[in-house]
Amino acid sequence: MASPTGSDRLLRGAVRHTAGTTAALLLCSVAGAACSLAVPALAGGTLDLLLRHQPGAGTWLLWTAVLLAAEVLLESGSVLLTQLANARATAWIRLRALSGLLGTAPHRAAPHPGGDVATRLCVNATDSGTAPAALATSVSAVLVPIGALVALALIHPWTAAVFVAGLPLLLLLLRTFAVQSSDSVGRYQRAQGAIAARLAEALGGARTIAAADTARHEEERVLVPLPEMARHGTRMWHVHGRAVARSGVLLPLLTTAVVAVAGVGLAAGEVSMGGLLAASRYAALAAGIGGIAAPLGTLIRARSAARRTAELADLAPMSHGSAVLPPDAPGDLQLRGVRVTRGGVPLIKDVTLSIGGGSTVAVVGRSGAGKSTLAAAAGRLTDPDAGSVLLDGVDLAELSRSELRGATAYAFARPVFDGGATPTIGTALAAGTGPARSPATPTSVRDAATAACADTFVRLLPLGYDTPVDDAPLSGGEAQRLGLARAFIGRGRLMILDDATSSLDTATERQVEAALATPSRACTRLIVAHRVSTAARADQVVWMEAGRVRRSGPHSLLWEEPEYRAVFTAEAQPAEAPSRSTGPGGPPESVSSGAPPSAVPGTGAGE
Amino acid sequence: MRRKGVMAKLAAWSAAESAQTFLGGFCVARSLDDGFLRGAPSTGLLWLAGAAVAILLGAPVVRGVFAQLPHLTEPLRDQLVRGAVVRALRTATSTGGGVDATAVSRLTSQTEIARDSFAGLVLATRSFVFVAVGALVGLLSLAPQFLIVVLPPLVLGLALFTASLRPMARAQHRYLDADEAVGRRAEITRTALRDTVACGAQEATAAQNRRAVDEAAAAQRALARWASVRTFSVATAGQLPVLLLLAAAPWLLRQGVTAGAVVGALTYVLQSLLPALHTMMTVLGAAGARLFVVLDRLTQPLPPAPPLAAAPPGPRRTGRAATALELRHVHTAYGPGARPVLDALELTVEQGEHIAVVGPSGIGKSTLLHVAAGMLTPDRGDVRLFGRAVAACPPSELTALRVLVPQEAYVFTGTLRDNLRYLWPGADRSAVDRTVGALALEPLVDRVGGLDRTLAPDALSLGERQLIALGRAHLAPAPLLLLDEATCHLDPVAEATAERALSARPGTLIVVAHRLSSALRADRILVLDGTRAHYGTHDELLARSALYRDLVGHWSQVQG
Repeated sequence: MASPTGSDRLLRGAVRHTAGTTAALLLCSVAGAACSLAVPALAGGTLDLLLRHQPGAGTWLLWTAVLLAAEVLLESGSVLLTQLANARATAWIRLRALSGLLGTAPHRAAPHPGGDVATRLCVNATDSGTAPAALATSVSAVLVPIGALVALALIHPWTAAVFVAGLPLLLLLLRTFAVQSSDSVGRYQRAQGAIAARLAEALGGARTIAAADTARHEEERVLVPLPEMARHGTRMWHVHGRAVARSGVLLPLLTTAVVAVAGVGLAAGEVSMGGLLAASRYAALAAGIGGIAAPLGTLIRARSAARRTAELADLAPMSHGSAVLPPDAPGDLQLRGVRVTRGGVPLIKDVTLSIGGGSTVAVVGRSGAGKSTLAAAAGRLTDPDAGSVLLDGVDLAELSRSELRGATAYAFARPVFDGGATPTIGTALAAGTGPARSPATPTSVRDAATAACADTFVRLLPLGYDTPVDDAPLSGGEAQRLGLARAFIGRGRLMILDDATSSLDTATERQVEAALATPSRACTRLIVAHRVSTAARADQVVWMEAGRVRRSGPHSLLWEEPEYRAVFTAEAQPAEAPSRSTGPGGPPESVSSGAPPSAVPGTGAGE
Repeated sequence: MRRKGVMAKLAAWSAAESAQTFLGGFCVARSLDDGFLRGAPSTGLLWLAGAAVAILLGAPVVRGVFAQLPHLTEPLRDQLVRGAVVRALRTATSTGGGVDATAVSRLTSQTEIARDSFAGLVLATRSFVFVAVGALVGLLSLAPQFLIVVLPPLVLGLALFTASLRPMARAQHRYLDADEAVGRRAEITRTALRDTVACGAQEATAAQNRRAVDEAAAAQRALARWASVRTFSVATAGQLPVLLLLAAAPWLLRQGVTAGAVVGALTYVLQSLLPALHTMMTVLGAAGARLFVVLDRLTQPLPPAPPLAAAPPGPRRTGRAATALELRHVHTAYGPGARPVLDALELTVEQGEHIAVVGPSGIGKSTLLHVAAGMLTPDRGDVRLFGRAVAACPPSELTALRVLVPQEAYVFTGTLRDNLRYLWPGADRSAVDRTVGALALEPLVDRVGGLDRTLAPDALSLGERQLIALGRAHLAPAPLLLLDEATCHLDPVAEATAERALSARPGTLIVVAHRLSSALRADRILVLDGTRAHYGTHDELLARSALYRDLVGHWSQVQG
């Protein structure tokens, strides 16, 4: 949603950040332009002196040599500085975008899926990073053709006149290309998209294809649009060839015309031999007027790319106060008139709750009732649009970030681990300690994993806790147990489990809940759950319906209401059977994904 | 053969470009010497008109070159696309292979980079070679002495450039790697954002991001240094001859070289050699390195095709009709040292039986079905389908014996009829109609506009997709059906209809049960319990298996 001003602000920042390099580039490219403008005149003058056997030719030749050398060095320097400026600006823009993303509340980043963010940081950031250098080089790109035209006029006014007369033709021809090629390009891209779509389809059905041994058949099916691609691809080359042919003719023709005019001048004694040579070179330099389009095009592309990158950099940051929590408080959680609206749709409204420190509260309700939104607001993953959330009497928004994240812990239905920032399973779990706490020890990691029933399967992995996160083949249930272990390590006063046991079998779930309830883990627990057994074991149940708290109280009391019971039957039928390994769209319990054995059945069934 | 013909035609067109280059400088020299310098401007203009005609004739030459280009680029692209598709499918369908997330990007952007870079390379090198030939022949015809002056710096520049090619390719490689790493960091930062914020672990993520961004910047700086070396080589090769020609002018004039010839030689260097050199070095330095990197990625060896059975098929059991499925002492684990998923499992399923498999998540129900289907070879033990050892069966025989329906139903863009006939392409209309009737697919057929209308898989619900996959299994000729949670998105009524229809079909049915009702429909039930397995009827298991009681009790409670 960033306006163009967001993109301009980002680009201005990039220019400021690269000011030194850009200024050097500006000087270098302008000096280079001056050299390249001076060289033809000097070379022409030298030639004249040599042809006429006049003295002083040596000095002129020396100057030509010096300026040619300078031109070569300045040109190489410009290329170097351009790329250095690009590198610096790109890095700055990337870091801005990444820190914008990291600083915001997760729901604000929701419109940008992972692949989209990657594109914005690769292609778009690289494009926007070219802006400062393009700005600097556009000066010399204008300077050279104009200077060359002036030089032509000085040599012989008619040469300049001929050139200017031919110029509109050049521009006209350059434009026809864009119009003609678009049609076949579009068809080509459609055929390409069709192949990609068919491949994606077949990849989704990989197990069916493997079982039916139809991979060969599928290859042919996916590749059906390929001849179409070749047909339109061939047409694209033909169109491109026509455009290149036309634009390739014009520049030499213009130069030849200029030489012809200068030649007539030579015959009339108005132009010297060296003047003719210089004129033909200046004509080529002046024809570079089309080259202005290059930095201009780069700037335009950089601006639209920067708009996409700025959307990330300008994501509204989540601000934090500096308050701290009262020590030794039990973890009382209060929600006061909380309303959360997303995209104009109220997700929860008027939620007022008071949860005693140390108690276990289950949040239940049908899909879309607002359970997860409530869970997100309770630990400040999202800010309420109205109302406030207080932990031990302190508004969450006033807490410092380290105090807030140290005091709260989350576990999710589908936890995600950053295999770069936390390369191993052990470090991924240790990340749960929060920013300000003392770092986790191997023992505390092991304890947390044991409590979450994850220790057994982690130790069966090739490198145990040192197994790279990205290499560990995790089933949905195993990922959930690691997510729980990460939450357990924090020892905050508020623990929020958002559907975090949905992929566990009942026995394991009971074991995890028992570990959660041990006195050494004295904290307030907010558990979003679908299973009736979880609700039955909680001290209090919050029954959500259409974004509001329908009722709250002990499970046994609520159970008398048929509508409350209906919440579980309606939810449970598709999502409850223990044989189910993952929710829709999750990694299937599969052989091909290499999931190691996971469940520890029976061990907790005695309860 | 064909490629040779294309190359010959390309060379023929390019030779015309040489002639054009030759005429360019030659006509300028003649126009001066025979025309303008002699005070005969009309002769000079005539020579220049000749040059103009040569330039105009260059347009069809360029078109001719571009007409040959697709014969080189399109086959390359076809080959790369085909390779990307085969690789993605083979990786996805081979045992243990996951879906390659970069498959689609390889297919689209990387093959296009390869195609464009390749075309650029062909055009630029070809152009440089033939322009250089034309210019050198022209210089030679004006005065052989010119070659002594022009060739050494040209060769020097080219040598410098060639020496820089390899380190430049390395720098380009590093840059592309670093760029991809930034993309991966961006993606994981986004997907793990909720978790990172919840843990308050932004600092570690930011530090890792900074490392990736810094490496990309360092790689780009290294690339910048090589780019400036490249520019320096081009400028040396292009500009030094100009200076040398001027310096050598007195000597050349003394040798009898005309003034027009000197200007003609300068024209060759400035108008032909310098631009062609510039283009070639730019393309070779950027596109060339990119092409090699991309080709390197696209043409890595394909994952091995599924292994074919080496041993001859085991002898058929003699005597009474063979059992549908026999597992003897089957042991499966994910790698040595890992706890076994299936341990000494024994199972016999007679023909015509209907079996349900139940157990907690992650206990190995899918693994069992994959082992039974012959898609996963157990570490130890014997698996037989209808008396035949599965390990020795080629895939074509396996598909004739059994059908495995996984949880995620595969529906492709095509008619509903073709989707249903996927496992039996020869099925006639009445067979398809019988399946539609048996599984009550009529509402679905109506909704998608008939059996012969092309359907869009995205427009179907997960349940509808599963119905199509079940219909496909119903229609298949194989006598054993293995359903791996293949009804999890159906409502209980549709599930019951489907399972009854599949059970009524002649043959054997093994179902990983998703609901109690599904287990109750089976003749016998297999309860997987980690190390032990219990096998029996519902009543027997209620008496014998604590886990089964727990599972059943749970389901009953939930379903009220």
